[in-house]
Amino acid sequence: MYDVPNSERTVTATDTKIAAKGVQVYYGDTHAIKDVDVQIADKTVTAFIGPSGCGKSTFLRCLNRMNDTIDICRVEGDIHIDGEDIYDKRVDPVQLRAKVGMVFQKPNPFPKSIYDNVAYGPRIHGMARNKAELDDIVESALRRAALWNEAKDRLQAPGTGLSGGQQQRLCIARAVATEPEILLMDEPCSALDPIATAQVEELIDELRQNYAVVIVTHSMQQAARVSQKTAFFHLGNLVEYDDTNKIFTNPTDKRTESYITGRIG
Amino acid sequence: MTDATSASAPASQPPRIGSILHESDRTKRRNAAERRFRLYGVIAISIGMLFLAALLFAIVRNGIPAFTQTYMTLQVELPADVLDENGNRDPEDLRKVSTFGYNPLIAAALERTVSEAGIETEITDGSDLRDMLSSAAGAQLRDTVLANPDVIGTTQEFRLLASSRVDGYMKGRVDRESLARDPNLSPEHLDVVDGLVDAGAINRSFNWPFITGSDASESRPEQAGMGVAILGSFFMMLVVLVLSLPIGVAASIYLEEFAPQNKFTDFIEVNISNLAAVPSIVFGILGLAVFIQFAHLPQSAPLVGGLTLTLMTLPTIVISTRASLKAVPPSIRDAALGVGASKMQSVFHHVLPLAMPGILTGTIIGLAQALGETAPLLLIGMVGYIATNYPDGVASGFLDPNSAMPAQIFEWAKRADPAYYERAWGGIIILLVFLLTMNLIAILLRRRFERRW
Repeated sequence: MYDVPNSERTVTATDTKIAAKGVQVYYGDTHAIKDVDVQIADKTVTAFIGPSGCGKSTFLRCLNRMNDTIDICRVEGDIHIDGEDIYDKRVDPVQLRAKVGMVFQKPNPFPKSIYDNVAYGPRIHGMARNKAELDDIVESALRRAALWNEAKDRLQAPGTGLSGGQQQRLCIARAVATEPEILLMDEPCSALDPIATAQVEELIDELRQNYAVVIVTHSMQQAARVSQKTAFFHLGNLVEYDDTNKIFTNPTDKRTESYITGRIG
Repeated sequence: MTDATSASAPASQPPRIGSILHESDRTKRRNAAERRFRLYGVIAISIGMLFLAALLFAIVRNGIPAFTQTYMTLQVELPADVLDENGNRDPEDLRKVSTFGYNPLIAAALERTVSEAGIETEITDGSDLRDMLSSAAGAQLRDTVLANPDVIGTTQEFRLLASSRVDGYMKGRVDRESLARDPNLSPEHLDVVDGLVDAGAINRSFNWPFITGSDASESRPEQAGMGVAILGSFFMMLVVLVLSLPIGVAASIYLEEFAPQNKFTDFIEVNISNLAAVPSIVFGILGLAVFIQFAHLPQSAPLVGGLTLTLMTLPTIVISTRASLKAVPPSIRDAALGVGASKMQSVFHHVLPLAMPGILTGTIIGLAQALGETAPLLLIGMVGYIATNYPDGVASGFLDPNSAMPAQIFEWAKRADPAYYERAWGGIIILLVFLLTMNLIAILLRRRFERRW
């Protein structure tokens, strides 16, 4: 159905990074996520797909407890990262978020220089002892986000002055600068043009070497291109979760098939 | 049939139904309504501009004369036998000669000057001529002598304040007709004044004492100035700034970023909005009850004025600060939280700097409002106090009785002498200059901070 090179399909690591069990999310009286069980592997790109309002972003935001900032949101069930319950009372969400980085739908660089954008995370976490170390962190983060060549001559220029695609890569650089173990991406390409999208996708594929990447996307082509595992959400339920190859070529559930062939959603 | 249609067609060319080349009735009505509305708008703006122009014209016309002052230059002999009977220049002895003791010297100097200038007048008595000068002239001489006793026994040149009537005559406020009913000066005096002007002994110059000086008693409007009241306002604004900015900003940040959304915070929110609309006199009576009657702080003190105005300014600052915090896009907060910043870090590193221009603008607008506020000052005794003394220092600036600019203006407007009326307008110009300066600072700060993308 979608033409995907088979070499991309091999799941390199099978260690479970995130294990969610019986996750329920309520926004006030609305039951947004219904009993989701999912195991997300390390060094893998996992895509969440599904129609708008199906809860994929909500579930993603549970993984680094960004939902804590919404007063009416309530999360039940267990989410373990490396075997530790992230909703345990002893967990400090701020510390968790340093470990689970996030890239948002709309590029949201700070209104500061490119350098300061990337250096912000390392600075607040005290990751560099001096300026030279910080410079190294910034450079390597920008290199990993494939932005170094474009940005190296104007590190002090405002981050908001970059193009949309560059801004999004800057946000990715900012996220990887804090050395997270997991990278959550909430529709990272929805505000980008096809060329910028291709660059970001390439980047996501490279990031897989070091991180567990979870990406929410509306584009099934994108899911097919970048991910090894795909989860299909529908009306707050996790309908199907399997190898991307399998989901797009031979889905088990009728609803998955309808969605990827464009009949629902 | 065919005839009828072919005949009528070229005659009037009725518009084709649905043609966009012709305005339909609906469109005509709609366009007319829009034109009418624009006209109302232009009329409203014009009326507003007219009032503004009238206001500015009145202020400038009535207030500008207060900025010049008439002086009389006199050679005054300072004889030792009058000023220092014992001849030992002992400051204690010199001080015993009161300002009235100097009046004969002035009178003599006047007589001499008038006769030297060759002015013919029926007023020959020097003490009568003395009416042309301010009653403060004696004090002016005495202060010079006390400051430098060496001048005793010499003849010195003095620039002495002319009386308010002479000043008014020079400015065209007073004429011979109005003086006919005035016991303070007679029309004959004006002949002398004309002569002295010709002789160069009377002239007008810029009135620095009006800006820097202190208030004077009701009979000496020519001596009254705003200086002490400006200081009173300054110390009050200092109190307001130091208290309301941190309290207001901290309260807004907490309410906007940290406080849980519940009935209680809703209640607080409603109350803050309502407080902003409470008449200022209510804050005045609150200040009277709490700060003066309960806390026993000194009456008429800028500290109390500042505290009272802080109460009044806080809601303004809280509302504008919360509005500018709200205007910061939530994506910035998400971004900061997403890289593992704490709530507080996200607020202080990212949200607050972005909200800064709005906060500063709100604060300065609040301060400007407080600067022009008169009603609360009525109740804590800062109106009606004659601010004749400069504060001795910072502590005395806060705690000694003083007035404030708007209170001083009100006080002058209340007094009967038309010379004070002129000073009141002049005071308004000074107050407006301060307000405009503050607004200018607000604009500059906003520009300065907004430049950073």
